[in-house]
Amino acid sequence: MTSLALILRREGGGGFFVLYSTRSKLIAGFLGVSLLVAAVSLFIGVRILDQHVFGEARNRVRQDLNAVSEMYLTRVRHIKTSLSITTLGFAFISSLREKNAAELVLRLERMAKLADLDFAGIVLEDGGTLCRIGPNSFPAAGASLENPIARPVLDSRIPVSGTLVLDSDFLIAENPYLAERARIPFTVGDDPALRSGKEEKSGMVVAAAVPVFDGNLLIGVLYGGMLLNRSETLVDTVRGTVFQGETYKGRSVGTATIFLGDARISTNVMTADGQRALGTRVSPEVREHVLGKGKLWTDRAFVFSDWYITAYRPIEDISGQRVGMLYVGVLEDKYEDIRRETLSVYILITVAGMLLAVGLGYLVANRISAPIRRLINASQQVGEGSLTPELGPPEKGEIGVLQKTFREMVAAVGRQRATSEAHIIHSQKQASVGRLAAGVAHEINNPLTGVLTYTHMLLRRTDLAPEIRSDLQTIVEATDRVRKIVKGLLDFSRQTKLDPEPTDINRLVTSSIALVEYQALVKGVAIKFNPGESLPELIVDRSQIQSVLINIIINALDATDPGGAIRVFTAAGLSSRDVGRKGVEITVADTGCGIPSENLDKLFEPFFTTKAIGQGTGLGLAVSLGIVQRHGGRIRVQSEIGKGSRFFIWLPAGGKAEHESAGG
Amino acid sequence: MKVLVVDDEPIVLKSCRMVLAAEGFEVMTAGSVAEALAAIEVHAPGLLLVDVKMPMLDGMYLMRQVREKRPGTPIIVMSGYSTRETIREALELGAATFIAKPFTPDELADTVRSVLKSREKEEKGYEDEKGSGH
Ligand SMILES: Nc1ncnc2c1ncn2[C@@H]1O[C@H](COP(=O)(O)OP(=O)(O)O)[C@@H](O)[C@H]1O
Ligand SMILES: [Mg+2]
Repeated sequence: MTSLALILRREGGGGFFVLYSTRSKLIAGFLGVSLLVAAVSLFIGVRILDQHVFGEARNRVRQDLNAVSEMYLTRVRHIKTSLSITTLGFAFISSLREKNAAELVLRLERMAKLADLDFAGIVLEDGGTLCRIGPNSFPAAGASLENPIARPVLDSRIPVSGTLVLDSDFLIAENPYLAERARIPFTVGDDPALRSGKEEKSGMVVAAAVPVFDGNLLIGVLYGGMLLNRSETLVDTVRGTVFQGETYKGRSVGTATIFLGDARISTNVMTADGQRALGTRVSPEVREHVLGKGKLWTDRAFVFSDWYITAYRPIEDISGQRVGMLYVGVLEDKYEDIRRETLSVYILITVAGMLLAVGLGYLVANRISAPIRRLINASQQVGEGSLTPELGPPEKGEIGVLQKTFREMVAAVGRQRATSEAHIIHSQKQASVGRLAAGVAHEINNPLTGVLTYTHMLLRRTDLAPEIRSDLQTIVEATDRVRKIVKGLLDFSRQTKLDPEPTDINRLVTSSIALVEYQALVKGVAIKFNPGESLPELIVDRSQIQSVLINIIINALDATDPGGAIRVFTAAGLSSRDVGRKGVEITVADTGCGIPSENLDKLFEPFFTTKAIGQGTGLGLAVSLGIVQRHGGRIRVQSEIGKGSRFFIWLPAGGKAEHESAGG
Repeated sequence: MKVLVVDDEPIVLKSCRMVLAAEGFEVMTAGSVAEALAAIEVHAPGLLLVDVKMPMLDGMYLMRQVREKRPGTPIIVMSGYSTRETIREALELGAATFIAKPFTPDELADTVRSVLKSREKEEKGYEDEKGSGH
C-alpha cells in the first residue's frame, strides 16, 4: 500500500511537468502546421497573384501599344489618302498646270481642314515651293529651302508617307506659328550626349507627299502633314478609345506619349501641377534599349512621378532612322492596390487561421490534460489514503476508459486493503489468544490436576455425609468445565504443523459421524450421510479434519430440536475462488434454529457463542476455520432463521498450495 | 514397585503421590531433573513419571540420561501444554506413553497400570524367548 502510494505520488509529481510540456508541444504542433500552410499558401498566392495581375497588366499594355501604333499608322495613311484624293481632282490638276497659286491655296486649305493637317503645300518639279497654307502662302521663287518630304517623291515619282523630323528653319519657313508650337523646353534629365541645347526646336511630324501628274508629266508634288509636337489629338484619342477614359484615384489609368528622341513632345502624362509633362525625358535604360537597340520594352517603369507598367517601341522616319518612341503605360497603382488588398486579405486569413489553431490547440490540450490532471490529483488522494478520490465528470473515449480503470483499481485497492486488514486483525487476534492460551493452560493445568486429584480422592471415601458428597460432585463438574475451556483454548492456539496423508474423505466423514451418532440418537436427531461418488483423493491431516467435522456436526446437533435431521453429503467441486482448482465440498445441513444474519460474521471469532454458560466455549468454529484454512480450504455458511443452516467445507485436492502455508 | 515422579510443581507431586500410593506403589518425588538423577542412582525406580516442561534442565534431557544410564526403565511423560511435536519427540526418546494434565486419579492409575502391564508382557515374552533358547 505504502509503496503503491509512493509510486503514484512520484508519477503524479512528474506528471504535471509532462502534461505541461505536452500541452505546449500540442500548441506548437498546431502553430507549426498552420505556419507552414500559411507560408506555402502565401508563397503560391503571391506567385499566382503576380502572374495574374501583372501578367495581365503587361499583356494589356502590350496590346494597347499595338493599338496605339495602329492608330499612328492609320493617321499616316489617312494623310496620304487625303493628299492622293486631292491630286486626282481635274480642277486641281488644271490649277497646278496653270500655276494658279491663289486657287491652289484655297483648295489646300479646304483639304487641310478636312484632313486635320497642320501644314500642306505644293513643290514644283525644280524643288521650289509653289504655294502653301499659312502665313507664307506664296514664297518668292528660289527662296525656298529643300523640302525633305517632297524630295524623295521628286526623285522616285511615287508617294511617300511616314514620320519625319523637320528642323526649325524649315518649320519657320513653312509656318512661324508651327515653329513656335514645336519649341519645347527640356525640363529634367538634360543629356547633351543625345541632344544639345536647352530646348527642342525640331518638329516631329507625320506627313505624306504625293506626285501630281498631268498625263505622264510630273507637274509637282503635293505634301502635307501634322506636327506631333504639343499635339493632343493622338494621345487624347488613345486615352479616350484604348483606355476609355478610365481613371484611378483621380489620375487616368492609361497614358500614351510620343517621344522625339528621348523627350516627351506629345503626352497625356501629367505633372504634379496638372500640366502635360512635355519636355521631360525617358530613363537612360529605356532610351538605350529602345532608341539604341530598336527593341520593344515592356516592364514596370517609373514614369515622371508614378510607377507604370509600360511598353515602348521605336518610331522610325521615312529613311528608316530611329527618331522617336511610342509609349503606352498603365498606372501600376491600380494593380498594386489590388495586389496589396488581396495580399492583406490573405495575410488576415492566415493570421486568423493561426490564432484559431493556437486556440484550438490550447482547447484540445486542455481537454486532454484537464481530466488527466484530475486523475493525477485523484491518484495523489489515493496515495494519501482516500478510497473515494475526486475524478471529475466522466469523459468519453480513452480518457473515460482510463477513469473507469482507475476507479476499478482504487476499488480493488480498497477491497484488498479491507481483506488484508481483516486478515491481519484476525491473525493478530489468533496469535495473541494462542499465546495467552498456552500460558494460561500451562499455569492452570497444574493446579487443576491437584483439584481433580483431591476431589476425586475425597469422593472415594465411604464415610462422607451426603451433602458433602454432592458438594464435591459440584466441584468436580465445575473443574471439568474449566478443563474443557482450557482444552478448547489449547486446541485453538495450537498452530501445529499438519500431518497430511492421502485420505478417502467419505471414510473420514463416516468415522466422524460414528463418534457423534450416539449423542444424536440420545437427542432424537437423525444423521444421514450421502457420500458423493468419484471424489478426488485429498491429502489432509485426518485427525484435525475429523475434529472440524465433529465440531460442526455437534453444533448442528445443538441447534436442532428432537425430531429434526442432520444431513451430511460430499461432492466433487471446483473452487469458486481459485479458478479450476479441484477439490471436495463437505456439506453439513441441519433443520435447526438457524443463525441471525448479524451473527454470520461473528461465528468464526474466538469466544463467540450463543450457548448457555458451561455449554459452549465459542472456540469450535474458530479452531475449525483455522484448520481448514491451513489446508487451503474455506468454510461458507448459509442459514435461514427457523429452517436451518448449511455449513460448506471446501478442501482442495492435491494438498494445500504452497502460497497458502502462511496461515499455518 | 518404586515410582519416581518428577515435576517442578509441588501440587502435582503431591497429587501423584496420593493417587499412586493409594494404588500400592512406593512413590518418590523429585522437584528437578538434578534431584531426579540423584534419586535414580540411589533408588533405581521401576517407573518414571516426568513432566516435559521444567525450568533449567527439562524432561527431555532427563529421558536422554535415563536411556543411557538405565535403559529399559519405562517413562510416562506428562504435560499441561502438549503439541504433536513434543509428544512425538518424547515417544522417540523412549517414553512409554503420554498423559495430558489435568488428569483424574482414575486416568493416571489406568495409564500407569497399562504401561506396567505391557512392560510385564514384554519382559515375560523376553524371558520366554530366553527360556526356549536354552
Ligand atoms: N448449525 C448451527 N445452527 C445454528 N447456530 C450455529 C450452528 N453452528 C454454530 N452456530 C452458532 O455459532 C456459535 C459458535 O459456534 P462455535 O464456534 O462452535 O462455539 P460453541 O459451539 O462453543 O458455541 C454457536 O454458539 C451458535 O450460536
Ligand atoms: Mg461448538
